[in-house]
Amino acid sequence: MSTAVHLDGITKRFPGVVANDDVDLSVERGTVHALLGENGAGKTTLMNILYGLYQPTEGTIHIDGTARDFHSPRDAIDAGVGMIHQHFMLVDPMTITENIVLGNEPRKWLGLAVDSAQARTEVRELSNRYGFDVDPDAKIEDVSVGVQQRVEILKALYRGADVLILDEPTAVLTPQEVEELFDVFEELTEQGKTIIFISHKLGEVMEAADEVTVLRDGKNVGTVDTADTTREQLAELMVGREVLMEPESDYQEPGDTVLGVQALRAEDSRGVEAVTDANFAVREGEIFGIAGIDGNGQSELIECITGLKTPTTGHISYKGRDITNAPRKQRIDDGMAYIPEDRHERGLVMEFDLTQNGILGSQHSEPFAKGGRIDWNRVETHAQDIITEYDVRPPNKDADAESFSGGNQQKFIVGREFQRNPDLVVATHPTRGVDIGATNFIHDRLLDLRASGKAVVLVSSNLTEVQGLSDRLAVMHDGEIMDVVDPSTVTEEQIGLLMAGEHIDDAERATIAPDGGDR
Amino acid sequence: MSGESESGGGRSARDALERLVGLSAVERLLISLAALVLAVLVGGVLILVSGRVATCQTAAATYFGVGFCYDPIQVYLVLFNGALGGLFALNDPALFNPNWNLFNFGLALTLKETTLLIFTGLSVAVAFRAGLFNIGTQGQLIIGALATGVTVFYASALVPASVVGGVLLITLGVTVGAVGGGLYGAIPGALKAYADANEVITTIMLNFIAARVAFVLVSEFFKNPDSQVVETTPIPDFGLLLPVSSVLPFGFPQGGDFSLIALLFGLVFVGALYYLIERTSFGYDLRTSGLQPDAAEYGGVDAKRTTVTSMALSGAIGGIGGAVWVLMVVGRWQTGVPAFGFDGITVSILAGNNPLGVIPAALLFGTLKSGSLAVQFQTGVPKQLVGVLRGLIILFVAMPEFFRLLGSRVVDFDTNEKTVTTDGGSVDDTGGDDDE
Repeated sequence: MSTAVHLDGITKRFPGVVANDDVDLSVERGTVHALLGENGAGKTTLMNILYGLYQPTEGTIHIDGTARDFHSPRDAIDAGVGMIHQHFMLVDPMTITENIVLGNEPRKWLGLAVDSAQARTEVRELSNRYGFDVDPDAKIEDVSVGVQQRVEILKALYRGADVLILDEPTAVLTPQEVEELFDVFEELTEQGKTIIFISHKLGEVMEAADEVTVLRDGKNVGTVDTADTTREQLAELMVGREVLMEPESDYQEPGDTVLGVQALRAEDSRGVEAVTDANFAVREGEIFGIAGIDGNGQSELIECITGLKTPTTGHISYKGRDITNAPRKQRIDDGMAYIPEDRHERGLVMEFDLTQNGILGSQHSEPFAKGGRIDWNRVETHAQDIITEYDVRPPNKDADAESFSGGNQQKFIVGREFQRNPDLVVATHPTRGVDIGATNFIHDRLLDLRASGKAVVLVSSNLTEVQGLSDRLAVMHDGEIMDVVDPSTVTEEQIGLLMAGEHIDDAERATIAPDGGDR
Repeated sequence: MSGESESGGGRSARDALERLVGLSAVERLLISLAALVLAVLVGGVLILVSGRVATCQTAAATYFGVGFCYDPIQVYLVLFNGALGGLFALNDPALFNPNWNLFNFGLALTLKETTLLIFTGLSVAVAFRAGLFNIGTQGQLIIGALATGVTVFYASALVPASVVGGVLLITLGVTVGAVGGGLYGAIPGALKAYADANEVITTIMLNFIAARVAFVLVSEFFKNPDSQVVETTPIPDFGLLLPVSSVLPFGFPQGGDFSLIALLFGLVFVGALYYLIERTSFGYDLRTSGLQPDAAEYGGVDAKRTTVTSMALSGAIGGIGGAVWVLMVVGRWQTGVPAFGFDGITVSILAGNNPLGVIPAALLFGTLKSGSLAVQFQTGVPKQLVGVLRGLIILFVAMPEFFRLLGSRVVDFDTNEKTVTTDGGSVDDTGGDDDE
C-alpha cells in the first residue's frame, strides 16, 4: 500500500481564530478514512484546504508522495482529488448524464457541439464499472437524494478523481441509503480509490471506515484503526477531557416551573423530523443543560422555545402560559433572553454598529423607545455599558459589528442578553470562540442568574461546560432526549454513550438520575 | 491554466466589489463627479462623430482643421446653462447674461422634475432599505394621481373658493393620493408576505393593471364630458398648487407648472423620512429586515408585517408623487402619465438608497431633462442624440452605485458561502462555525 494523501503540519488561521492547528493526516491508497469531530473542530476547513478552496497558512499537501500547491479546486481535480459537498451542486432540470459531463463534455464537430451519445456511453460505462445503479437519462429532480449523491460521486470520478472527499455524506440519507452508500465505498476502494469522509456519528465511522482521525479544536488528537478502538474511546477523544475550570455551583432548591416542554416534535428546514417527543421542565433557580453532538436536534428544539420555529406538535409553556404559537416578540417582551447559536446571521446585524446592535430585540421597548421614537443617547450609553462590563475589544461602540472578532461579538451578544434582566435565559454555545477569561466571566454570570432565581437552558457541545454548570443534564441523540441525568454523578463515558445513542441500563441509571428527576 | 486565470479574475473582481462596498460618503461623491466628467467626455466624442457624419450648411466647430456639424463644448454648455434658464452668457465676453431672471422657464422645468422625482425616488429608496425592490412606484403613482384627481374635483364643489378652501383641498388631495398609492403598494407587499410572490414580478404586473384600470375607470365614470381625450374634469384653480406668481408679483412663471411650495414640501418630506428610517423603532425594524432578515426575526421583527408596511409606505410616497403631479402639473388626471416612477428607480440607485441622497440625484435628473430641451431648441443636435447624452450621464453616474449595491449582496453572499463550507457538523444550521 502507498500513501495517497499526506497532509503535513497544516495550520489555517482566520482572522482571530485558528481553524486548523498543525494537523498531520495520512491516508493509505484504497482505504476509507473518517474524519471525526464536533462541529467547529475544523474538519471541513481541513478538507476545503485539501480540495483547494482554502490555502493553508502553514503546512504542505502531498498527493501520491508529491508536494502540491492547490490554488483552486481545479488544481485539486487535476491532481485527482474530488470533493462531494454536503449541499449537492447539481442542475435539477438536467439529466444525470448532462450533470456528470457538465464542464467536461465530449465534443464533436470541431468542438462546436456536445456529443451526447458519447457522453451517455461514457457515463453508462463509468456507472457499470463501479456497480452504480443509475439511469443516465433520468432528470435530477426526479431521482432520490441517495441517487443524487451517487451522481455527485460519478461526477468526481468522471473528472478523474482518485481521492474522494465526502462532507457529511450520510446527513441527508435514509438508513437504507446509508447502507447502500457504504457498499459503494467498498466497491470504490476495491478498485483502488481512496475515500475520506467527514462525520460526527460514531456508529457510521465504526462501520464504514478503516481508519479514523479525530479532530478537536482544530488539532489532530489521534488517528486510530477502527478495528482497535471502541465507540467509548472515540467519544472520549472527540469530546476531550481537559477541565478548564471548576465552577462552584452551590445547589439550591429550585422554585416554580418557568419553562415546560411537552411532547414536542419539530422538523428541520428540509422537513425531516429533528426533534422527537421532547418533554422537560425548567424551574426557577436552575440551570438545565442539554448535551449532545451538534446536529442532533438541539437547534430545532431551542428555536421552538425561543419562537423562531413552530413545532409540528406538542406544547411549550412559559411562566404558566402556553406560548407554543406566540410570536418571538412576545417572548422577548416577557423576559426571555436568547444567545443564539449563529451570531453572524441571527445575533448581530453585521452592518450595524454596536450601538444599534445593543437594542436588537428591544427596539420597541422602554426605556430605549418611547412612542415609536428611539432615544439614541440612552442606546449609546447602553452599548457603552455592555462594552465596558463585558470587556468588548476594541471598545468602540461606533464600529460595525462585522469588524469585531468572533469572541468579542459573542461577548457583546451575551452582555446584551444578560442585561435584559430576563426570567429565562436560553444560551446556546455561549462561550464558543471566547477566550478563557471571558468564558469564566460568562459562566459566573450564568451562575449569578441562577442564584437570583432565574431559569437557564444551556446548550453546549463543550461537555465540560455543560456538565460543570448544569443542575440537570439532558442528553440528545438523533432528535430524542436519551436521558436526563445528574451531572455531578454521571461519568463522561456514560454521557458519551448517551450522545452516541446507546441507553444506559436501569441499574446503572439509578445512580445517576437527578433528585426529583421529573422526566 | 484557464482555471487559474479564471479564479484570479474572479478574485480581483470580488476585491473590487469589496472596495466599492467599503467606500465612504466623500469617496462616493468624488466617484460620482468623476463619472460625470467621464460621461461628458464620452458624450463629447459621440457628438463629434455624429457631427462628422451629419450634413450641414456651415460647420458649428472646427477642430484640427476638420469641420463638425455639432460642437460638443457648446452642447454641454447649453445643456447645463439651459437648466438654469441661461444664467451664463455663452457667446458674449461677459460671464453672466444681463437679462437673466431667477424665475425663468428653464429653472422652473428643472425644479418641477426634481420635485416629482424626489417623491418617486424616495418611494423606491424606502422599499430598497427594507430589502424590497419596488418596481411598482409608477403604478402606485398612477393610482394615487387618479384618487387625487377625482376626489379633489368632487370636493371642490363643497368648499369655499378661497385660500382656506384651497389649503383644505390640497391637504385632502395629498392625503387621498397617499392612501390610494399606499393601498396599491400594500397589494404586492401582502402577496410577498403571505403568498411568497416575488415583489419584482408582481409590481411590474401591477403597473400595467394600474394604467389599464385607471383608464377604464376614467373613461367609464369620471370622464370630462367636454373633452375628446380620456381625462378627468379639471380641478378649479383655487384647489391647485399654483406658482407663487399667481398671487404675488414675483415667482416662477405660470406656464412652468412648478410650485415652490411643493418643492419645500418635498424637502421637508425627505427630512421626515430620513428621521423615520434612521431614528425610529419602525425604521430600525425596516433596516434590519433589509440588511439581515434572520437577525430581524431574532430581534422580534414580524417579517410579514414589515414587508406589508414597507411596501404600503413606499406606495404611499409614490401616491403623493401622483398627487403632486395632478395638483401642480396637469390639474386633472389624464392618460399617458409620464414615467416618473421608473426614473425614481434610477434616482434611488443614484442616491445609494439614502433619503438625503435623493435630493441631489433628483436635481441631476431634473437638470438633464430641462437642459436637453434647451439643447434641442438652441443647437441643431437631434432629439435622439440628446437622449443618448442624458442616458450616458445617468449610466455613468449610476453604475458605481449600482455595483456597490450589487457588491454588498455578492460580498454578503460570499461570507455566507464561507459559513456553509466551514460548517463541519450540523445538517441545516450553518451555526457560528466559521470561527472554527
